[in-house]
Amino acid sequence: MLDLTGQGSTTTCDGITRRDFLQVGTLSAIGLSMAQHQALLATEGSDLEHENRSAIMIFNLGAPSQLDTWDPKPDAPREVRGPFKPIRTQSDEFEISEIFPRHAKIADQFSIVRSCYHTAAAVHDTGHQMMQTGRLFTGGINTPHAGCALEFLRGRRNELPAHVILPEPMGPTGGDIPHGQDAGFLGKAHDPFVLNADPSVEHFEVPDLRPPETIGEARLQRRRRLRDIVDHTVKNFEASPNAELMDANFAAAYRLMTSSKAREAFDLSQEPLRVRERYGMTRFGQCCLLARRLVEAGVRFVTINTFITVFDEITWDIHGSKPFTSITGMRDIVAPMYDQGYSALIEDLLDRGMLDDTLVCNLAEFGRTPKINPAGGRDHWPQCWSVYFAGGGIQGGQVVGKSDEIGAYPAERPVAPNEVVATIYKSLGLDLETHLPGPQSRPFPLVDFGTAPINELFG
Amino acid sequence: MTRLQGMPSSLRRLLASAILSLLVQWESQAASVKILPEAIQLTGKNSTQRLLLQEVEDHLVGRQLTQEVHWTVEPASVATVENHRLRPLANGRAVLRASYQDSTAEMEIEVRAHDGNFEWSFRNHVQPILAKFGCSAGACHGAAAGKNGFKLSLRGYDDQGDFIALTRHALGRRIIPQEPGRSLLLTKPAGLLPHKGGKRFAVDSLEFEVLSQWIANGFPGPAASDARIERIEINPGQVHLTPGDRQQVVVRAFFSDGRQEDVSQWAKFSSANESVVRVDEQGEVEVVGFGEGAVTAWYLSRIATATITAPFLSEDPPAVTVADASPNLIDRQVNQKLSQLRLPASPRSTDAQFFRRVHLDTLGILPTLEEVKRFLGDDREDKRARLIDSLLERPEYVDYWTYQWSDLLLVQSKNLGTPAMWSYYRWIRDQVARNTPWDEFVRQIVTSKGSNLENGAANFYVLHDDPRIMAETTTQAFLGMSINCAKCHNHPLEKWTNTQYFQMANLFARVRTKNGAANNERIVFAALNGEVVQPLTGKPQAPTPLDGAPIPADDLRDRREHLADWLVAPSNPYFGRAIVNRVWANFMGVGLVEDIDDLRVTNPASNEALLAGMARYLVEHDYDLKQLIRLILNSEAYQRSSQTSGMNQAESRFYSRYYPRRLMAEVMLDAFSHVTNVATPFQGYPAGWRALQLPDSNIDSYFLSSFGRANRAQTCACERTDEPSVAQVLHIANGETLNRKLAAPNNQIAQELKAGVLPHQIIENLYLRGLSRYPTPSEARQMKLLLDETPSEEIRAALEDVYWAVLSSREFLFNH
Repeated sequence: MLDLTGQGSTTTCDGITRRDFLQVGTLSAIGLSMAQHQALLATEGSDLEHENRSAIMIFNLGAPSQLDTWDPKPDAPREVRGPFKPIRTQSDEFEISEIFPRHAKIADQFSIVRSCYHTAAAVHDTGHQMMQTGRLFTGGINTPHAGCALEFLRGRRNELPAHVILPEPMGPTGGDIPHGQDAGFLGKAHDPFVLNADPSVEHFEVPDLRPPETIGEARLQRRRRLRDIVDHTVKNFEASPNAELMDANFAAAYRLMTSSKAREAFDLSQEPLRVRERYGMTRFGQCCLLARRLVEAGVRFVTINTFITVFDEITWDIHGSKPFTSITGMRDIVAPMYDQGYSALIEDLLDRGMLDDTLVCNLAEFGRTPKINPAGGRDHWPQCWSVYFAGGGIQGGQVVGKSDEIGAYPAERPVAPNEVVATIYKSLGLDLETHLPGPQSRPFPLVDFGTAPINELFG
Repeated sequence: MTRLQGMPSSLRRLLASAILSLLVQWESQAASVKILPEAIQLTGKNSTQRLLLQEVEDHLVGRQLTQEVHWTVEPASVATVENHRLRPLANGRAVLRASYQDSTAEMEIEVRAHDGNFEWSFRNHVQPILAKFGCSAGACHGAAAGKNGFKLSLRGYDDQGDFIALTRHALGRRIIPQEPGRSLLLTKPAGLLPHKGGKRFAVDSLEFEVLSQWIANGFPGPAASDARIERIEINPGQVHLTPGDRQQVVVRAFFSDGRQEDVSQWAKFSSANESVVRVDEQGEVEVVGFGEGAVTAWYLSRIATATITAPFLSEDPPAVTVADASPNLIDRQVNQKLSQLRLPASPRSTDAQFFRRVHLDTLGILPTLEEVKRFLGDDREDKRARLIDSLLERPEYVDYWTYQWSDLLLVQSKNLGTPAMWSYYRWIRDQVARNTPWDEFVRQIVTSKGSNLENGAANFYVLHDDPRIMAETTTQAFLGMSINCAKCHNHPLEKWTNTQYFQMANLFARVRTKNGAANNERIVFAALNGEVVQPLTGKPQAPTPLDGAPIPADDLRDRREHLADWLVAPSNPYFGRAIVNRVWANFMGVGLVEDIDDLRVTNPASNEALLAGMARYLVEHDYDLKQLIRLILNSEAYQRSSQTSGMNQAESRFYSRYYPRRLMAEVMLDAFSHVTNVATPFQGYPAGWRALQLPDSNIDSYFLSSFGRANRAQTCACERTDEPSVAQVLHIANGETLNRKLAAPNNQIAQELKAGVLPHQIIENLYLRGLSRYPTPSEARQMKLLLDETPSEEIRAALEDVYWAVLSSREFLFNH
């Protein structure tokens, strides 16, 4: 039994039940066309403008130092400005650190927000939640990742999932609380599709997308035929929405398994070696390439985790001591692979005419202490850091907001995480007044009341 | 009749005479008409009452009549009716008469204080208007931060604060006494000045008039002497309609000074089931589907609910006609509801269906091949009842229900550490094994103290270490209610107020924990002082369990003892209902109230008589859950086929059939292990340990997490999900969990082949082990064809594929 609308709820504040939303949310799986889905959702405030836009969120887990990357302070004291020099860029508006020479060449394509801050605890996990969902989890309510909210509101475009996480979800970063990379209260049905593999390894394949080696095409056919026999015997499932959804998922999974489009989208070996190398043969580089392929094939939102954890991995988390990373580790290992992957992605999207319709945002959970610590590194600093945006209606080459002379606090136009998420929604054409079905039927606004996007970024 | 006693005697007389006249009408003819609301009393010359005329058939209130209705008042000097609205003319009594075609109905009415002064009050008129038009809604000025510098309390729970915001803030521009019409309170919502919230009402509306008159009268603030709202009433309270029908609902408020008032215009309406009824802002209900819906009216934090029944237009008579004859109270209530809704019931399930179903629902396991064969071959009349009795004594029953309560109570090593996790788990397991009565079980948790390693129940307070969270969790877990909203403001969907929230929280103010001697050991104890302060008043509230009585001054016990007394008392209407709803949902797939831990007035049960009846049954049986489960399992309602019958496929709330649902993650994984005879390894647990025997949710398992096990991080039924996802399907199809078991060298297929069992027999065994049934002739024939065309060296692979097909079928993955 499907209830299609929440028509009675003319006011936004009351009366929309979780059930109503869930029923609508599962429609796409049960054969309601996208157009119908849209028509229904339009009543809830989602507009069709920029419906065709996609987003790639690059999450710089570990948290880069604002001073050593996109907000250099060459005039600050030595212990603040750090070892790197600023370089000129393609933009007249800003310089960036010398460790990103390729960024400098495409600086007219992206715009930096240098005044991001948050006021929660300085542990990685809080920032992950806020920057991806727009909120800090309190009261046990896990808010959905922006990509999951998008999936919930717009559904998937084709047999490919609407939201994909590359290469895998965030792992432990010390805080032991959720990172905000799932659908939260929207329900598991809206969780992202997770790759769970490293696309840079030889013979990379999507796990579970293909049957085990021993099951060839013939056996696959036989299995499906046999399953049909069993499934056609008992007819007790017509009126069971979850059974229908299970069936729809089998169909979707078969489509995914057998769809040449899906297989090709995930198949990096179809790219000329030259292209793969342009992105860099690193996990991050190949994730960027895969993200481009997925967006091309119809995926609405791709989240790339630059790193999975901060422990025993060379990351942005430059405390300077073990098991974390040093500033030189960042310079020699992190920056080159990152600079290459990102710049290749932007250039490639530009070359293919996709950049206008693809928002690429580079986020992190916080910044780092303005003063270099005794271990020669920098520690957690949520009071000020930089994020940047390209494509998807963003006017490149600008700086929004400003930090003080040592990059410690926003000096102009402070930007909170919820405004970053609102900016993503705006680029994608989502109405910020839209309400999601929260726990216990409480209507849950897409962003908290009063949250505005960073409008200066848009041309 | 207790309510009547609270009314003035005149009102009582009137009510009695109205009831009497209706009884006379009912006796005189089957189809008649009825005036609503009853016993109308108009106080003051501004007071009016919207009238309804309803058809009445077989004592049931039917559709509303609006055309060709003639209203008269006698004597006409007392009141008049215009456009179905009663207006007072002079003090006195009169008879209100309505005629429609050949039917008439009449009722005595009274007009009082027509010559008296009347003033609009801030508390009782201005606040409801601000709520009704969304001014104090969460998205507008009722937001925690207000909007554009103007902040009201959510839906007006803070009269004093709102009055100050209106009259003192914004340099007093919100109210301009010399020139009321220039007050922002009027110009903004009337759209005369730019207003981000848009135009809310017109200059010539009653709302504009009320607000401007209130200002003109010197904008009196909330006073201690104000009449207070006592209750509201919605009319018709119960009505039978058909899809397409429209019905106006009328809301009447009763105040402490004996006055009644038609507040339909300022009540807020919502529908609990929009697939059956919708309601607009004016209280006009539209029936859009079959079934039962509820419309809730909210006015000054009071709530009333109207039930709208739209019987299915079934051609077939309901399969159940002897509703009263059933010995099982569940069947009496379910059947009565079905016949009310004219829903046909599906026939009884087959033995095979029942056998599989009852194992999965009660024990969380599949029956063995031998058990299936024995049961199918048993021809005793009472074999189902015997089976139920024996299942309830099985050790797997303890596994299953310990797991369920461990979900509810959040048993996990991540927050507790491993020793405490085990202590908590073992404590629960012990209660389940002893079938501790539920009231005793809950009392022990709520009043627990001592070392969490020695008294497992004390871990409840180790997990929840703030009095507010303790209050919220206790209410959620044992009363199935969320009071969280009332932490900051009166609950918008419930009767709980911010004050009640802090009264409840204060019961936990003295619960403390300290470190014990052992690693991870915590000692829970009750301190001798400590209070929780309510931020709104800056003072603690008298410790009081929700709508119970405050702790008497001479009660020097641990405050939680008082709470527990109230909590588990048979007179507590919430306690029994909450657990009954949980247990019922486990077996029937759908709670009488959905979500199962979202019990509130505005979310009525799909069968209130059944929920109340089972709650009573549980109390009568000393909270013996096993006895309740026995009652459910023996009911015909539980034993129905999941096959739809006639129009009953359109319903999913009234139990005309069994609703299929996906196996829970742990049960599915164990079922894979059982059928393939290959156990699933869990890190740190002995081989052969089943998923349902795991004490802890903090165990790595891709399968369990992707199939939606509860994380046990928050007390909410929403933690567990049985929603199927594409990732789940891909994992079943291609992932290692099932494929490894199918390819395992010594699995069931290998063992049977080795024992010389013929392939077609292996397939039959698979059906019995996985589906609790024999293959149908058609299935057997098609499988045989497959085996015939398979070369002998490929038989094993072919059998693996048959296994895969059965284990990935809906029939296997679902309980049905």
